[in-house]
Amino acid sequence: MQIYLPIAELPVSVLTILAMGAAVGFLSGMFGIGGGFLMTPLLIFLGIPPAVAVGTQATQIVASSVTGALAHFARKSIDFKMGGVLLIGGILGSLSGIYLFKLLAAIGQIDLTISVVYVAFLSVIGAMMMVESVQAIRAARGGTVTRRRGGHHSWIHGLPFKMRFRRSKLYISVIPPILVGYFVGTLAAIMGVGGGFILIPAMIYILRMPTNVVIGTSFFQIVFVAALTGVMHSLENQAVDIVLGFLLVVGGVIGAQYGVRAAEKMPAEQLRALLAAILLLIGMRLGYDLISTPADPYSVVEVEAEQ
Amino acid sequence: MRRFAAALFALAALAALTATEPVRADQLVTDLSEHQVAIRSNFTGTQILLFGAVEARTPGSRALNRDVVVVVQGPTRPMTVRRKEPIAGIWINHDSVTYPTVPGYYAIASTRPLEVTADPDTLKALRIGIENINPGTPTARAIDGTLQILPPDEENAFWKALIRNQRRNGLYTSLPGGVTFLGQTLFRATVDIPANVPVGLYTAKVYLLQDGEIIDTISSPLYIDKRGAERFLFRMAHSDPLLYGLIAVLIAALAGWLASAVMNRQ
Repeated sequence: MQIYLPIAELPVSVLTILAMGAAVGFLSGMFGIGGGFLMTPLLIFLGIPPAVAVGTQATQIVASSVTGALAHFARKSIDFKMGGVLLIGGILGSLSGIYLFKLLAAIGQIDLTISVVYVAFLSVIGAMMMVESVQAIRAARGGTVTRRRGGHHSWIHGLPFKMRFRRSKLYISVIPPILVGYFVGTLAAIMGVGGGFILIPAMIYILRMPTNVVIGTSFFQIVFVAALTGVMHSLENQAVDIVLGFLLVVGGVIGAQYGVRAAEKMPAEQLRALLAAILLLIGMRLGYDLISTPADPYSVVEVEAEQ
Repeated sequence: MRRFAAALFALAALAALTATEPVRADQLVTDLSEHQVAIRSNFTGTQILLFGAVEARTPGSRALNRDVVVVVQGPTRPMTVRRKEPIAGIWINHDSVTYPTVPGYYAIASTRPLEVTADPDTLKALRIGIENINPGTPTARAIDGTLQILPPDEENAFWKALIRNQRRNGLYTSLPGGVTFLGQTLFRATVDIPANVPVGLYTAKVYLLQDGEIIDTISSPLYIDKRGAERFLFRMAHSDPLLYGLIAVLIAALAGWLASAVMNRQ
């Protein structure tokens, strides 16, 4: 069954979109990520204009992260105070990301920027996670327990404006979480992602939050940043396709619920290695597209009539 | 199918008309199977039938070297063509050329190939044929956005790329032999409207040529527009983007909450 998308201005197969939504939703529930880094390239591959893919993806992220946040709220695994501080940075970041997106689209470099940023982040984070989880799996097999570097002192502890985060058992400056939030918010607006795949490692490795509150807190922050990003993409670029978004959401929320349950039955380190492998694969695929000779070096875009 | 039957009936009516009425010069009588195409949620492209008759100068005489050319053209808009170049191993959009008035859709059908229908100068002067579209004065820009002047052959490569791209998307089509005569006076042509067609006011122009000279032209309008929910959503997204965005996000949040509520109950 085909349906015509009013904003993307092309017909798509309803079943394809639902299946894509469900598959990505499953992974997003499983790993506590928005799933945007999978969905945005898939949508662009289907022929949806990049701006519409990014804008619409924001609504899908809202839905899947609301579901995720509610599940973690029930388990009391959200640090609201830390989430709030991250959110302040996230809102500012999202706003600058939207304007950067508009600027890059105008000079014709948005597709390149999206690809380069994806390749850079996916390969670096994928490699880091892979090394970390392989080491953890080996350590577990050897019978030794991995040491948590909680009390470790770093440059972060020298910064002012310290605040106590009881849930995370941290007493740190608000500057690093605001910067992390800002950075992730900017990327979220440009890449059409929730940013969980950057936020979660940043919370673990930079902020040194305990792993059990990381996913819930990241969901909590992403709900609001993605909501703002969706509204702003609609306001600035008229690039949110409500029909496409609805189909993705329906597939996504169902998939996410099963993903959350599947994650409970799987060992955390193996799960992390699997996510690292997925990130690396997508990164390599996009990187290959950047360096291989394009089929047609010319591309055509419609220009908004200058007012 | 009923539409086609109606069109054929109209053809027959035209035939009866042309047979009885005395006429002074060769003239065209044409119509479209529909003058409005509505894009609804189930739109996956459509076909339009253009039909007509040539009213002969002297009834019963057979006209030789007579050609009919049908051109359906969509609304024009500015378009930019960008060329990628490898810089440090990565393919980057480099030079670009912007054309101010590019038709979003251009379909041409003729009884015979255009080359044998009329000489190139006539076709060029009348802008008949995909190669003869006038996209306006191009502006070329370098990667940093500064204006530059490209040599004509290089600039032509950008224009060729635009045509190639539009052909690939089914938006520019040429169909020699796409206009068929049914007997002496009646002719018909079908025009494919793909699903990704731009909306707006189209014109269907029919040219009648004899020995390479244009002897009559007729033009009829065709509206392609979104209807129903598609129209409502598109309008709202552009006239009330803030409200539209808020609604989109609220629906998504509600769906997320609903899913979690349903799954918890199980």
